[in-house]
Amino acid sequence: MIEVANLTKRYGAKTAVDGLTFSIRPGTVTGFLGPNGAGKSTTMRMLVGLDTPTSGTAKVNGKPYGEHRAPLREIGVLLEARAVHPGRSARDHLLAIGATHGITARRVDDVLDMVGLTEVAKRRVGNFSLGMGQRLGIAVALLGDPRTVVLDEPVNGLDPDGIKWIRQLLKGLAAEGRTVFISSHLMSEMALTAEHLIVVGRGRLIADVSVAALIESAARGVHVRTSQVSALVRVLNGDGVRISTVGGGVLDVVGRSTEDIATRALAAGIPLYELTPQRASLEEAYMELTQESVEYHGGTTTTTSFGEAA
Amino acid sequence: MSTTTLDAPVVVPPPATDDIRLTFRGVLRSEWVKLRSVRSSAMTLLGAAFAMLAAGLVFASTIGGGGDGPGPDDGMSDPTAIALSGVMITQLVIGVLGVMVVSSEYSTGMIRSTLTGVPARLPVLAAKVVVVTGAVFTSMLAVSLVAFLGAQAIMSGADLPTAALGDPGVLRAVVGSAAALTGVAVMGVAFGSILRGTAGAISTLFALVFLAPGLGRLLLPTSWRDDVLKYLPSNASSSFTSVTAGPDVLGTTAGALVFAAWVVVPLVVAAVLLRRRDA
Repeated sequence: MIEVANLTKRYGAKTAVDGLTFSIRPGTVTGFLGPNGAGKSTTMRMLVGLDTPTSGTAKVNGKPYGEHRAPLREIGVLLEARAVHPGRSARDHLLAIGATHGITARRVDDVLDMVGLTEVAKRRVGNFSLGMGQRLGIAVALLGDPRTVVLDEPVNGLDPDGIKWIRQLLKGLAAEGRTVFISSHLMSEMALTAEHLIVVGRGRLIADVSVAALIESAARGVHVRTSQVSALVRVLNGDGVRISTVGGGVLDVVGRSTEDIATRALAAGIPLYELTPQRASLEEAYMELTQESVEYHGGTTTTTSFGEAA
Repeated sequence: MSTTTLDAPVVVPPPATDDIRLTFRGVLRSEWVKLRSVRSSAMTLLGAAFAMLAAGLVFASTIGGGGDGPGPDDGMSDPTAIALSGVMITQLVIGVLGVMVVSSEYSTGMIRSTLTGVPARLPVLAAKVVVVTGAVFTSMLAVSLVAFLGAQAIMSGADLPTAALGDPGVLRAVVGSAAALTGVAVMGVAFGSILRGTAGAISTLFALVFLAPGLGRLLLPTSWRDDVLKYLPSNASSSFTSVTAGPDVLGTTAGALVFAAWVVVPLVVAAVLLRRRDA
């Protein structure tokens, strides 16, 4: 469980995080989505006390991170930048971090095994590939068997196998009842992994929405092709229904589901040759959400709410 | 015959980590693992040992050899001072060790892993000081003992005056040399933590320990320069690293206190900044 309230971070004149409020529930994978520079990494750093908020609070499992007796048991974190001494072996790196909490060498070896680094455990980390480094970072995050897992851009540098592995790992962690919070600037990645999304732009909350609701919001009209255009328009018309001609006997119907259209057409004996729901891709829905808040655009940020928005 | 339920989800038992807890003992262990698991720690300690031994033993074998070698006429007749003459140069090497213990964490990003594990932060600095103190003091005490005994053996072979550990002030000088080296290493920890960068911290430490006495001698007005210079760390420590202190050196106790202040004050600054700054 992560609870962030009015969280704000300013660096001099620049506001990196601007009054963020959201909660992350356990048992699901929540994506933290936004363009580069939107304040995702800064927010994650404040969650684990590396950066002190200018104002507002960030709580992990009910308390500020630093007040827990076993911080590594509460939250495991992978930050975007490397946080490893290149001259140390992967195993020694984990032993050193685990030692603070009395985590045993056995647990270290188990975690190395879990992330697939057993064979290179005694090699110096400086020789690791980007993907191996990322796996080591994930091993650190999982070391304390944390109830909450926070990963900044976890798929960075992973090969396709690694990406598949991390998706399964994250879903597995959520299924065990843990809170899983992962950032990405790629909607496509989030769509495959996350069930819920926190979307930020320029440090502000843009949307707090389930992936399903976002897909719903991305729905457009339904394209219907028939030989009896005017008859079909008559049976489909109604309150809140908008019908326009696309051409070639194709109608664009907004406000009726495909099931509804098919049932009405069948009842009226109108043949349908095509019935295609039109959807913006999730990528497009996300772009629409964030285009006004991309770092390099002018103008003000608007906050759009969806269904269960904050 | 038994039946296996194929559609039951595979449940991996959670590892037994429920009892884990952040403790200072744990942080100490962690810092010890860090120190011993990078090659540079052993290299700098070996380098320091080599510098200390080489200086003392070479000096002992060249002294009184006539010719160009230094002799009693240069005011270097104290057999203890000859044996421990490596302290000055060894400070350089051991200071680097102290600096690197902190600055390498900043330069590699390791500090983020460290402080995430220990959000209170101060235990990390304290543990680094304890671990560096332990490693440097024990190794440098052994090294200065060997340097002392070896140098005495060499000088005794050359029929030169020698000192024994039981002589007044000699044991204090031997132990004091190890303590002075330890102090410089801890100053390195403090400067590494304040400045966060290896180059800046090493330069600052060297300037203070090495350059300041010489520069002060050159630049300060003679009327009060000796009153100021004796408070510099390397001059303050010479009050307890030598048997016969020179004329412009503080008394043993005063010198030890001044030197301790040079160690403690930067540490306090480092602690305050460590708490206050974003990592």
